Amino acid sequence: MWVTEATECLLRTEETFSACLARINTIVLEPLLQAEPCDQKGKDNLKLLMLLNDHFHALWDLTEENHRALKQKFSNSESLCLQDLYILWKGDLFLSIYIPYFVTFANCVVVQGFDQAAKNKSEFWKTHKTALKQFLADFTSETSMPVAFHTVLHKPIREHVQQYAFILTKLSEVIGESPERERVTRAAHQYTKLQSFISQVLDEACLTKTLWKSLGHKLTDLLCVPERRLLEDSKNLPIFASLGRTDRVLLFDDVLVLIQGNNVQSFDLKLVWVDATCSEKPAPEKHMLRIVTPEEAFLLSAKEPKIRAVWQWKLNQAVRQALNGKRDFPLWGEAGEGSEPPVQRVFKYTFQAESRFKNAAYEGEWYWGKPHGKGTLKWSDGRNHVGDFKEGLEHGFGICLVPLLSEDRYDCYKCHWCEGKMRGYGICEYGNGMVYKGYFKENLRQGFGILEKPSAEQPFKYTGQWENDKKHGYGVWDDKDRGERYIGMWYEDHRHGQGIVVTQSGICYQRTFHVDKMVGSGILLLEDDSVYKGNFTQDLTFVGKGKLTFSNGFTLEGTFSNKSGQGLQTQGILNTSSDQQDDAMMKVQLGLDEFPVEKRWQGIYDQFLEFIHAGCKEEMEESFTGFHVQTSKELRKSQEYLFCQRDPEDVSVKIEDVLEELVEHQNQESLQCYLQKAFKSSLHPLGKLLKALTLTFQATYSGIGANKHLLNMAQEEVKHYAKIMWEFYRGLLQQALEQKGQPLSGTEDGEKSDLNAYRMILPLILPCFYPELFMLYMLYHEKEDDLYCQGIMDLSLFPDLKLLEFLDVQKHLWPLKDLILTTNQRRSLVKDKCFLSATECLQKLITTVDPREKLEILQKTYEEIESTVTRVMERDYKLPMDDLLPLLMYVVSRARIQHLGAEIHLIRDLMDPTNEGGMYDFLLTALESCYEHIQKDMRLHQRENWHVT
Amino acid sequence: MMAIRELKVCLLGDTGVGKSSIVCRFVQDHFDHNISPTIGASFMTKTVPCGNELHKFLIWDTAGQERFHSLAPMYYRGSAAAVIVYDITKQDSFHTLKKWVKELKEHGPENIVMAIAGNKCDLSDLREVTMKDAKEYAESIGAIVVETSAKNAINIEELFQGISQQIPPLNPHENSNNGAIRLGKQTTQMSRPCC
Repeated sequence: MWVTEATECLLRTEETFSACLARINTIVLEPLLQAEPCDQKGKDNLKLLMLLNDHFHALWDLTEENHRALKQKFSNSESLCLQDLYILWKGDLFLSIYIPYFVTFANCVVVQGFDQAAKNKSEFWKTHKTALKQFLADFTSETSMPVAFHTVLHKPIREHVQQYAFILTKLSEVIGESPERERVTRAAHQYTKLQSFISQVLDEACLTKTLWKSLGHKLTDLLCVPERRLLEDSKNLPIFASLGRTDRVLLFDDVLVLIQGNNVQSFDLKLVWVDATCSEKPAPEKHMLRIVTPEEAFLLSAKEPKIRAVWQWKLNQAVRQALNGKRDFPLWGEAGEGSEPPVQRVFKYTFQAESRFKNAAYEGEWYWGKPHGKGTLKWSDGRNHVGDFKEGLEHGFGICLVPLLSEDRYDCYKCHWCEGKMRGYGICEYGNGMVYKGYFKENLRQGFGILEKPSAEQPFKYTGQWENDKKHGYGVWDDKDRGERYIGMWYEDHRHGQGIVVTQSGICYQRTFHVDKMVGSGILLLEDDSVYKGNFTQDLTFVGKGKLTFSNGFTLEGTFSNKSGQGLQTQGILNTSSDQQDDAMMKVQLGLDEFPVEKRWQGIYDQFLEFIHAGCKEEMEESFTGFHVQTSKELRKSQEYLFCQRDPEDVSVKIEDVLEELVEHQNQESLQCYLQKAFKSSLHPLGKLLKALTLTFQATYSGIGANKHLLNMAQEEVKHYAKIMWEFYRGLLQQALEQKGQPLSGTEDGEKSDLNAYRMILPLILPCFYPELFMLYMLYHEKEDDLYCQGIMDLSLFPDLKLLEFLDVQKHLWPLKDLILTTNQRRSLVKDKCFLSATECLQKLITTVDPREKLEILQKTYEEIESTVTRVMERDYKLPMDDLLPLLMYVVSRARIQHLGAEIHLIRDLMDPTNEGGMYDFLLTALESCYEHIQKDMRLHQRENWHVT
Repeated sequence: MMAIRELKVCLLGDTGVGKSSIVCRFVQDHFDHNISPTIGASFMTKTVPCGNELHKFLIWDTAGQERFHSLAPMYYRGSAAAVIVYDITKQDSFHTLKKWVKELKEHGPENIVMAIAGNKCDLSDLREVTMKDAKEYAESIGAIVVETSAKNAINIEELFQGISQQIPPLNPHENSNNGAIRLGKQTTQMSRPCC
């Protein structure tokens, strides 16, 4: 029953409305659109009217369509149900048509579009005035045309919305308690809201229009756009800005404007923060709001707290709505309603004020007027920074592209930044092909770093210390064209101080440099083992006083000169009375005093120490200890870094976890496992440190650097690395315990710390340095190893028994039992059968790099000898050295280990020093004495007394 | 706990004079509770108290054969003491001893304590070297001298006690220039696992 009533009512209303719209269209809209504008303003105006026309038609079509459908159904007298009241469920559709209409209408109002239109065809309208009359009850001849248009184009429609609301409200009253009633009420409410929206929109439009009328032309031209609405005006609600001599504050829906005379300062609301908690100058009669924008911050002060509260609320709502990109519906909630705008925002802004960022556009996250979080900064010169920002400055990881002026190339910095400047580890790919991987400070290369130019033209590589962008301190320079390596001190990009030069051909010299020039006398070590001490030039000609020691021990001391084309000339004394060739001279070790091992890679250690002292902060880990990207897969991924999408999950092991694990693995065995894992990991700080040290070690001692005169430098460096690693481990542990509030149990004195370095660390890190290091040992012992190999070769001609006899092994120790003969074999001719187990055991010496394991192999070798002897003698026999040494000699000669001299030397250098004097030392000495004996004495004996047949 | 000092002791002397027998006897008589690994009779250790210190002797045997003499410096390098053994029944072995003393004086570690042991004193019937000669010689070079019998365990203890007494007591403020002498503070150093 009530449905039919409501339907009838709706049908009636719609019919009237539809007819009204049709008339408005013919009488008002169509003539309005026929205007022929002559200026830009007129054109813009017409555009607006056309848009209004579009929305009008959409509205009309909607009405017609629904009206017709309902009418048909009604006339067919089908039973009607609630569903047929389309305004009930099509509310959203109606809103989506009505809202744009009124918004556009309001735009027309604001720009005084109707005044324009009326003026345009004033003659026409004069004659048509009567036609308009029918729409307006209170239309008089005094009513101006603009007011008439204004009324005609909104009043009927607005009233129609009221009708809808009325119909629904009535319906809800009669419908009685039911779920439908709820629905009807809700729909009615929607139209009520639309009503208030319309009135708010119109109010705002009028207010804005009035403002534009009241402001001077200049300001209006500057500020007026159709969509802009005035939300608050300091004339209406007095408030004063602290910026300049502002005489008016205007809050629009998109900008906050300060006016001073004819000058306007406007602030995009999306980047306006309102701080009500500011406690600056608590003047008694002032109530402040602090306004923060990217380049300005100022105060708004009101005389009354109430006024301040209104401004604050309006500002916040306006900012929030501006950020949302659309107005609320209705435009304003009740005062005090609505949430605060978010403090963290994403927006694009171009800096204008005089500063480092002038004309740079920042797009990204903001916080209280400052770039903060992830963002991109583009300078007008093409410079581009993508990365993390903090309080307005580059801070954290960032990638910066700097275009080069002349070419279409870029310098690309992937680096850590601190307060706007590069600081910490970074990788820079320069546009000219050079690559720097290392540390920065204040935008300059500082601390440890590797600069490399891999290209074909003058390729070089510098590994070492930097200061103020220059090579400064200890560093290694590879000149790949010349095939030369300089190891030594630098000063402001020059070789300066002590330096060693090694060349591809194996020549090596140590000199004092002064701004790239060699000064004073030096030592030159030639490849044929002759040594020259004195002055010589860069192309290695002797000049002035000097002493040349030949490899056969002869010396030539005198004054050398070298006139071009005439060869070497000298006046001096040749001494041929060489008492033994001077081994010490031939194997002289360079760089030990000049470059104290603790100072060599200080730049790397410093970074790690700083990291530890700073409390091992997660966010600092990368900047102090370098990027971890190592595997090719990760390298491919590193492209993503350009977009700064560095997922913290996959970037690094959490440093907290690292520290946590440290605390768990303190006992010896699990510590060993832990350290082993840590060193292998490219994510663990210790692993990164090892990686860096491996690079420096290779940079110094691989390739050209493989020179026997650098052996001691190298081996002492490796031992020092172990000490440093242990110190860092202790540092990390201390940090981890401190964070847990536990003290580090017991302090270590230097001696114990050293022991741990040898026992725990050295075996684990040695594999990283072994190839280069062992190469140095081999070169150092090249001659001896050759002699020894000759000796072994000679001895290998002996059958077993002959060799035992030759070595004076007592007959009762001969393992005759082990000689199993086949027919046609004579016992005296059998080879490589005796003490086979010991021989095979000793051969394993080369299968490990760990000096301790090598010593254990040595011990096992002895045990094999002992067990063979026990078997032969059928009783326990404690071998005295008189018996043991010949047997060991036998085993060594049969084991035929190629670089035994290098092996022994390496073990002796790198073994735990507490072994000194002990069993391992004894065994190693025994082995060494065999080695010596084989290279020196075997061959002599053989030639004099023995004839192998 | 008492400080332990490790003392490297090197055995020199001709083959067959009983170098290793002396050590075996010395080490066997007092069984060392801390079982230190040995290399047959070639390398042995024994710890004895001396004053308020413990002396841990690390005893290195050498091969006595003439042909290996040139290798000896590798063994006596870093020794705190050398025990030079001769056979009282063999004049030759006393002669060799003199050569060793000369070499140690020239090439051996500074301040090395030298102890001369005339072994096989149980065979005094066959004596070729008189006690007087040995004593005079020892005095002339400032060495300890005893006649020992490894077989009958005569004077073995005394020999090593003599060495112990000759070792200057450790001055904590003065770093020993002898590489073999170290001050071990930690127990770990004693019970260090060796394999």
